[in-house]
Amino acid sequence: MPKSLIAMTSITYAYKAKRLLNNKGIYCEIVRTPKNLSTGCGYSLSVTKDPKEIILILEENGIPHKTFMRG
Amino acid sequence: MINFDNSATTFPKPQSVKNAVALAVERFGGNPGRSGHEISKAAAEQVFNVREKAARLFHAEVENVAFTANCTYALNMAIKGILQYGGHTVISSLEHNSASRPVYNLYKNRGVKYSIAKVEPDDEQTVRNFEELINADTKCIICTAASNVTGQITPYRELARLAQKKGIAFICDCAQASGVLDITLDDGMDFICTSGHKGLYGPTGTGLLITNGKFPLSTIIEGGTGTTSAELTQSDTMPERLESGTVNTVGIMGLGKGIDFVNTKTQARIFAHETALCEQMLNALRKHRNITVYRDDNAHYAPIVAFNIGEYSSEEVTEYLNRRGFALRGGLQCSALAHHSLGTLLTGVVRFSPSAFNDRRQVAMLIHEIEKIAAGNVI
Repeated sequence: MPKSLIAMTSITYAYKAKRLLNNKGIYCEIVRTPKNLSTGCGYSLSVTKDPKEIILILEENGIPHKTFMRG
Repeated sequence: MINFDNSATTFPKPQSVKNAVALAVERFGGNPGRSGHEISKAAAEQVFNVREKAARLFHAEVENVAFTANCTYALNMAIKGILQYGGHTVISSLEHNSASRPVYNLYKNRGVKYSIAKVEPDDEQTVRNFEELINADTKCIICTAASNVTGQITPYRELARLAQKKGIAFICDCAQASGVLDITLDDGMDFICTSGHKGLYGPTGTGLLITNGKFPLSTIIEGGTGTTSAELTQSDTMPERLESGTVNTVGIMGLGKGIDFVNTKTQARIFAHETALCEQMLNALRKHRNITVYRDDNAHYAPIVAFNIGEYSSEEVTEYLNRRGFALRGGLQCSALAHHSLGTLLTGVVRFSPSAFNDRRQVAMLIHEIEKIAAGNVI
């Protein structure tokens, strides 16, 4: 299954997002953001679902994020 | 040795705290939030878990919980974060030096103005004292929730409402309140600054700055946050903005178990237990004419008892008690303003502060020694 990446603004928001998604039964992992997706170091959510669906959930719950990259 | 100096730091700690500290050193030694490898991420997840627990305890969003080295660091970050570019503040007459000294430093070096509002036994009068001192330049109210000298509880909810009405920030020192008074952001404060190692039973070297996010803070410490590393500007993302450098994973994991301990016992039950021990002390102390107890019948108190015996200095009393196996704090308890208010700047006071681990038998043993001092037989 191809994995998409959603770059997060901090490790705290990454874990907050992971907790939220896991509680909704959505599997995700926290990975290091690749250089081409970030201006500095940071963390991303690695997800198998459509990243736009995930971003909608994040935004509904006030969790900021940066750019995303489809897998 | 029996510890009745738990306002300084609770000791002993719960076994679960000791176990968590050992586990952190043994298994979670990575640098949290800095790398993508599993060792780093495992530590980061542990830190996040404790952040979540603290957020639940204080009714905060998890990102608005910043770990600090202690309450003093949290207060400095909040006070200087609000006032470092000037303004005026109203502080209470009971403030610990951890609040009054940063304010005084800002006054000396940054042109910040400050006023001191007298805390009275009458809460309504106390609030009026604060309100009268607020002016157009006032940026914040700084007030302890409970005095670390006498335990007097301030009208912090009413002061929070006053700050909201005036559109200014309320910074609340909860070092003596956390773990015994159920204080949360719902009480209206903008900043809860507290220690992790006192009523929350975590290890020393732990503290918390909790905010509702309404007043973004200027930083007083900048550095690595694990985010936006290509930029020279400090990250504005909370809580990393306030957590430059490697956080204290070992202490934080211990603090997590301390919070669990408090949640299991409940703050209400800990308060009731410690207050009963204070009542036992007070009943004994008040039998002696030459013992002065620093309490007012019209005020409310956290479980602390401050007293002096005859003409003895507080340090003479605590030194004798130390030799007899009891740890109590004498002197000024780092609170010049509070002692100025009490009129005890020269003598200090003896402070009795129990924890969840003390019991009536221990207090009875302490009373026996105090009665010997009061009778003039031993010092």
